[in-house]
Amino acid sequence: MTLRPFALRSPTPMPGWGLSFGVMMTTLSVIVLVPMAALLWRGFIGFGPAEMWEVVNRPRVWSALALSFRAALIASVFNLVFGVALAWVLVRYRFPGKRIIDAAVDLPFALPTAVAGIALTAIYAPNGFFGAALDQAFGLKVAYTELGIWIALVFVGLPFVVRTVQPVIEEIDRETEEASATLGATRLRTLTHVVLPTLTPAALTGFALALARSVGEYGSVIFIAGNLPNVTEIAPLLIVIRLEEFDYDGAVAIAIAMLSISFTMLLVINLIQIMSRRRMGAV
Amino acid sequence: MNIEIEEISKEFGATAALHPVSLSIPSGTLVALLGPSGSGKTTLLRILGGLEFPTAGRVLFDGSDATGLTVQERRAGFVFQSYALFRHMTVFDNIAYGLRARPRKTRPPAAEIARRVTRLLDLIKLPDIGARYPSQLSGGQRQRVALARALAIEPRMLLLDEPFGALDAKVRRELRQGLRDIHDTTGLTTVFVTHDQEEAMELADLVVVMSMGRIEQVGKPEDIRARPKTAFVREFITS
Amino acid sequence: MTETTLPLRWRPATTEPALVRWGLTVLCLAVLGVLLFAPLIAVFAEALRDGVALAIASLSEPDARSAIRLTLLVAAVVVPLNAAFGIAAAWAITKFDWRGKPLVLTLIDLPFSVSPVVAGLMFVLLFGANSALGAWLVAHGYPIVFAVPGIMLATLFITFPFVARELIPVMLEQGRAEEEAALTLGATGWRMFFTVTLPNIRWALLYGVLLCNARAMGEFGAVAVVSGKIRGQTTTMPLMIEMFYNEYLSVAAFTMAALLALLAFVTLTLKTALEWRYADQLAANHRH
Repeated sequence: MTLRPFALRSPTPMPGWGLSFGVMMTTLSVIVLVPMAALLWRGFIGFGPAEMWEVVNRPRVWSALALSFRAALIASVFNLVFGVALAWVLVRYRFPGKRIIDAAVDLPFALPTAVAGIALTAIYAPNGFFGAALDQAFGLKVAYTELGIWIALVFVGLPFVVRTVQPVIEEIDRETEEASATLGATRLRTLTHVVLPTLTPAALTGFALALARSVGEYGSVIFIAGNLPNVTEIAPLLIVIRLEEFDYDGAVAIAIAMLSISFTMLLVINLIQIMSRRRMGAV
Repeated sequence: MNIEIEEISKEFGATAALHPVSLSIPSGTLVALLGPSGSGKTTLLRILGGLEFPTAGRVLFDGSDATGLTVQERRAGFVFQSYALFRHMTVFDNIAYGLRARPRKTRPPAAEIARRVTRLLDLIKLPDIGARYPSQLSGGQRQRVALARALAIEPRMLLLDEPFGALDAKVRRELRQGLRDIHDTTGLTTVFVTHDQEEAMELADLVVVMSMGRIEQVGKPEDIRARPKTAFVREFITS
Repeated sequence: MTETTLPLRWRPATTEPALVRWGLTVLCLAVLGVLLFAPLIAVFAEALRDGVALAIASLSEPDARSAIRLTLLVAAVVVPLNAAFGIAAAWAITKFDWRGKPLVLTLIDLPFSVSPVVAGLMFVLLFGANSALGAWLVAHGYPIVFAVPGIMLATLFITFPFVARELIPVMLEQGRAEEEAALTLGATGWRMFFTVTLPNIRWALLYGVLLCNARAMGEFGAVAVVSGKIRGQTTTMPLMIEMFYNEYLSVAAFTMAALLALLAFVTLTLKTALEWRYADQLAANHRH
C-alpha cells in the first residue's frame, strides 16, 4: 500500500489508531527514548566529547572494552558454528530425546543470568567438577580467567543462532540438495556450496543477536570472571564500579563508548546481511 | 545408452509404491512415464536417477548392473519438478556447477567450462542470461536453465520430473518442441514423467502408462491410442 | 522376489554418512551437556548439599522472603504493562499504514542491543538524586532510584520488546480481513477487539508474556544498578543470590537459584507445550 505524499497514514475504517498509536509512542518515549536521551545528553552536553574521550582513553578502560568485545566475538563465533551444527542435528537427524533437547536449547532464555553465573562458577571453579578435572588433566584454569568469560557468554548466546537457523533448514527444498548430487557433487560439496549459502542470512541474524546480547552481558559473567582490573574486568562491570564511586561522568563515557562500538558492529553485520540477501534475489 | 529395468519394486514402509515392474528402454528413445499421481512414475524415475534405492530388482545401463551406483556415479541429467535451481548462484554458476564439482583430475579448466556454459546457453536459446539470478527469470526460462544445467555434466541419460508441470499452456507448447529438439541433437536416452496424456502422446517415442505402482501398457503413442490394453488406459487417454 | 541388499556406500542424496551423523549428534549433545545440563544439575546439587531441611530453612529467612515478594511484585506490575504496550504497538503497526514504521520498529528493538547495566545507568541519570527531576521527586517523597519504582522502570526497559515482537509477526500474518468483516457486521471497536482479535492472538500473547515474565523475574544487571541493594527493601531474588553468594552462604544462594531454575523449568515447559499445540498461531519464526 502506498501513501499519498505528505500523509502520515493512509485512510482506513479500522478503529483504535489514536489509542494504540498514543499508548505505543508514550510508552516508547517514557521507557526507552527519554532515558536514552538522558544518557546522551549527560555525555555529550553535560560532560563533553573531549572529556569523555579522556575518560575512555585509559589503559584500564581500553582493556575492559577490548575484553568485552573480544570475548563476545569469540563466544558468538563459537555459537555461530555450533548453532548451525546443532540446528542441523535437531532438524535432520533422529535420536532419542530429541524433543526434550530441542526444548532445552531455550534454557539460557529462561534461566536468570545470576543463576547461570553462580552455577557455571560452581562447576568450573578450581574445586568444581569440571574445573578440577580440567586443571588436573591439562593444567587449564577456566573460572576467574578469560576462558571462563567465554564460557558464560557462549551459554548466554547459545539459543540465538539455533533458533534463527532452524526454521530455514526446515524449509530447505530437498530437491536442490538432490540436484547437486545428480550433478556429481559430493555430500560435503553440497553442504558447503548449496546448503550453507542459503543459511547465511539467518545465521548472521542469529550471530548479531548473540553478539549484541553477549557484549552487554553482566549477570552471568561477573561471578565466573574474577574481575581483576586490566585482566578479567568487563566493561559493564567497570560502569558499575564507576557508579559505586559516584563518578557518573565516567560511567556515562564508558557506556557511550560501548553503545557506539556495538551499534557500529551491528550496522556492519546488517550491511553484510543485506548484501547476502540481495544476491539471492527476491524469492 | 539403453536402460533395462528388471523386476524393480519399491516399498515405503508398509505401502508399495512400485510392484515389480520391468521395462526396457532402447538407446536414444524419448520415453514418457504417464500416469495419475500415486501411480509410481516419479518413484521409478528417482530410482533410475539413484535418488531412491529399490526394495528389490535391478537396473542395467548398457547391460551392466547400475543398481548400486550412487547418484554421483550415475551421471544422469536430472531435471526436477521445481527445477531446484541454486538461487544464490547466477545462471552461469548454476550451469557450471556440475563441471566445477568434478575431482581435480577430470575437471575442465575455467576457460573450457566457460566455453561449454556459453554453448549450452546458446542451445537453450537464452544466450544473454548468464549473469542473472534464478529469481530474475520467468518460469519457462528457469526450466530451460535447469535443462542446460543437467546437460552440462555430459549425462548418460536425461531424466525429467514433470518438466512442464508448473508452466502455462502457451509456454508449455514451446518448451515441448525445445525438449524434442534437444533430444534429437544430443541423441540422449530421455525419460520424462507426466500426468498429461496429450503431452506424452505428442512428444514421446515410447509411452509407458502406469497406475497404482504397475505398468499398464507400453507402446508407441499411436498404438496406445488405437489399441488400449486395459480399461484404465482407455479411460485415462480419453480424459 | 529377490530382495536387493542395500550396498553399504549407497545412501539417500540428502543425508550424511552414518558416522558423520552419529559423530555430530554426540558432539552436540556433549556440548549441551557440559554447557546447559551440568550447570543446572550443579544448582540443585549445591542447594541440597546439606539436606532439604536446611535449603527450605534458608528460604524462610526474612530477607529471602522479602526478596521473593519483591520479585513477584515487580513481575506483577511489569508484565501486564508490557503486555498492554505490546498489544497497542502491534495494533498500530499491523492494522495501519503509516510513515516511519521501520524506525519505530527499530526503536522498539533497541533494548535488545543495550547492556542491562547501561539501561540501569540511564534511569540513575534521569531519576537519581543528582538530577533535577530526581532531586525534586525525592524532596516530595517519591524516590525512584534505589527504590522499587526504579527497579520496575529498569525491568520495563529490559523486557520492553518481548510481547510486541511476538504479536507483530502473528498479526501481520493474520491480516486485517477478519477485523474488517467484524466492522461491516456492525461491531464496535472494542467488541471487535475482544471477539475477533484477542481470540486470534491469545496464544502468541501468552507466549510473549511467558518470556517477558521469565526475564522480568530474572533480570540482574539493570536492577543491580538502580536498586541500591537495600536488604529487605530493594533486593530482588537475583540480587539476593549475589548477596548470599558473596557472603559465602552457598546453600542459601543456590536454594534461591534453584527456585528461579524451577521457574525457568515451568516457563520452558509451558512454552514448549504452546509450541507443540498452537504452532500455527505463534510467530512464524518459531518452529514445530
